[in-house]
Amino acid sequence: MEVISMLVKDEFGVMQRIMGEFTRKRINVETIVVGKCEVPGKARVVLSVISKEMADIAVERLGRLHDVEAVEIVEEPRQSAYALISTSKGWVGLIGSRDEVAEIIEKTEPEHYIKTVNAL
Amino acid sequence: MFGIPGAATLPLYDELLDSGIEHILVRHEQGAAHMADGYARIKKAPGMCIATSGAGATNLVTGIATAYLDSSPVIAITGQVPTTVLGSDGFQEADIFSLMMPITKHNFRVTDPSTLATDFRSAFRIATSGRCGPVHIDIPKDVLTREGDIPPRPTPMPISPMEPSPDEVLVAAKMLMQAERPLIMLGGGANWSGAGAEALALADQLAAPIVTTLMGKGTVPETHPLVLGMIGMHGRAAANYALENCDVMLVVGARFSDRTVGEPASCRMKVIHIDIDRTEMGKNVCPTLGITAEAKAAMSAISKAINLKVHSSNWSEASGEMIKRCACDIDVCEDPISPRKVIHELNSILPKDAIIVTEVGQCQMWAAHFLDIKDQRTFITSGGLGCMGFGLPAAIGAKFAAPDRKVIDIAGDGSFTMVCQELATAAKNDIPVAIALFNNSRLGMIKQHQRLFYGDRLTAQDLSGVDMVKLAEAFGAEAIRVEHHQDLTPALQQAIDSDRPCLVDIQINREEDIFPLTIRTAAGPTVHRGSCPYEGGC
Repeated sequence: MEVISMLVKDEFGVMQRIMGEFTRKRINVETIVVGKCEVPGKARVVLSVISKEMADIAVERLGRLHDVEAVEIVEEPRQSAYALISTSKGWVGLIGSRDEVAEIIEKTEPEHYIKTVNAL
Repeated sequence: MFGIPGAATLPLYDELLDSGIEHILVRHEQGAAHMADGYARIKKAPGMCIATSGAGATNLVTGIATAYLDSSPVIAITGQVPTTVLGSDGFQEADIFSLMMPITKHNFRVTDPSTLATDFRSAFRIATSGRCGPVHIDIPKDVLTREGDIPPRPTPMPISPMEPSPDEVLVAAKMLMQAERPLIMLGGGANWSGAGAEALALADQLAAPIVTTLMGKGTVPETHPLVLGMIGMHGRAAANYALENCDVMLVVGARFSDRTVGEPASCRMKVIHIDIDRTEMGKNVCPTLGITAEAKAAMSAISKAINLKVHSSNWSEASGEMIKRCACDIDVCEDPISPRKVIHELNSILPKDAIIVTEVGQCQMWAAHFLDIKDQRTFITSGGLGCMGFGLPAAIGAKFAAPDRKVIDIAGDGSFTMVCQELATAAKNDIPVAIALFNNSRLGMIKQHQRLFYGDRLTAQDLSGVDMVKLAEAFGAEAIRVEHHQDLTPALQQAIDSDRPCLVDIQINREEDIFPLTIRTAAGPTVHRGSCPYEGGC
C-alpha cells in the first residue's frame, strides 16, 4: 500500500478533477481522507493505492493539475493509521502505526472486508 | 471568436458589440470549436469559441476533445444558467463543467464577477504554457450581468523554453553517436515547436533518417533526402522499415500512439524520448532515456553535444535506397479518377506555404501518405481523436489566421457532410477556402476495413444520393464537378485561386482503398500491400 498526500484548492469540483485522473488511468483508490488543513483556503487529500507503480503514475498526473499545489508519496514508514475491520468476533477498531495496523489486519484474517484503512 | 449565441450568453454578446472583438457566427457549435482549433494551430496562439448553456455547450464537446488530443490552445467559453438556478435542471442546463473536465487542460466555473478577469488571464496562460491544450470557462448568466472589480493586469511573466538537463543531453548524444542505425521520429510536439531545422541538423550530423508521425508531418520537408515520411498504420513502407530496423530512436514530441507504432512491445530499439510533458515518459513505451524539455531546445542542445559528422553509413545508404524503392508513380491517368492522382496534382500545384487541412478517413490517409508537405505546421489534421467533420471548419479557422495563404480542405464525402453547413459560414463571411472532395459516396475507411477484416461483408457504408455541387451552391459556395482525370488540374487551380469558397466534387474510384496498411504487433508487422509493389521487408 502506498500513501499519497496532496495539497489542493478547497473548492467545488476539485475532488472530481483529482478522481478523474484515477479513473483515466484505471487506478482504484483504496482509502481516502480529505479535509481542511493548516493552509488557509487549501485542503489536504491523503489517499492510498495498492502499488508503487500506481502511486508513481498518479503522482505524475496529479502534478499536472492546476488545482493541485503539491503532491508527494509519503515515504515515512511510521505513520499513524486506523482501521475498522469485520472479523469472526465482530467489528474491531485499530489504531497504531501503519505497519502495526497492517500487521494486525494480516493476523486477524478479516473474513468479510476492510471497512476503512486510513493513513494520516 | 467563433460561436453561436443563446439566452445565457446574450449579455456577453451585447457587450461584444462595443468591444472590437470580431465574432464569427457559425451554424453549429462543433464548427466553432474546430474553427478556433484551426485558427490556433496556424496562429500558434489561442483560438476562441463560445456557446450557450445546455445543448450549445455540449455541441462544443467534440471539438474541444479534438483540440485536447492534439494539444491545441483553444479557449472555450460556455454560458450557464444563473447561479440561483444551477443544479435544479433548469432550462438549457447541462453540467458542462463536469463534461469538459477530462478533455481540457483545466476549466473554470466563474461564480463571482470579480474573478472573471483573473480566470481569463489564467486560462490563456494555461492554454499556451508547456504542452498546449484547451481551457474551458463556464459563466453563469448572472455573473455576466453583475458588477465586479477587475484587478489590474499583472506584468506578464516571460515563458522561457523548458531546457533539457546537461547530463541527459550528454547521455543522449553518446547513445546517438554509438548507434549503428539511428532514427529520428518527429511528432506533433516537434512540429508545434518548429524544430525542423534542428532535426535536420541532427540528422545530417548522424546521417540518420527521419520519420514523422501523422501530427509531425511537415516538421521537415518531405522532399529532403533523409526524410522517409510518415510511419504508422497508413505510413510509408520505407518509414515503417526504418522503424522496424533502427537500433536507437530519438523520439521528439510524440506519444507512441497505437496507430503510429502498433503494440508498444513491438518497439525493441533503444528509445530516447524528448517531450515537454513529463507524463508522456513511459506512458506507452518505456524509454531508455527520457528528457522532459521543449523539442527545439532539446534537439539543439543534443546537436551541439555531438562532436561527430557521419557522411554516410550502410544505414543511411539503405535509407536512400528505401526512399527510391518506395517512391511509386501516383500519376495514375485513368477514369474513374484515382485518389492518388488527385494528390499527385495537388503536389504539383499547391504553393509551399499552402495550408492543407484534412477531414478524417481514407481522404486523410491518402493525403498523409502521398502528399509531400514542405513546411512546418502547414498540414493540419485531427490526429488523436480522428474527428470526422474537423476539416472544413478548421480550414475556415486557418484562413482567418492566415488570410494571405491558400487554404485547402482535403475532404471525403462522409466527413464533409457532418459539417457541410459551415460552407454557409465561409460564403457569408467571404472566406475563400478550397475543398477537394474525394467523393466515393462511401464511408470509405469503413468499407476498407469490412473488406479486409470482416470477410467483405459491407454494411452501413453507402452514402450515395447526395448532389454535392447543388449542396455547395445552395450554401452560396462555388462548385465544380470533376469526373475525368484530365479535368482535375484546372478545377483544383480554379478552386485555389477563387475569391469565394469553392468545392471540387471529385468523383473518385469507389473501389480504391488506401495501401499499404501495416499492423505492428510484438510478433512482427503484418502488411496489407494492396497494389503497393514495395517489398522493403516491413
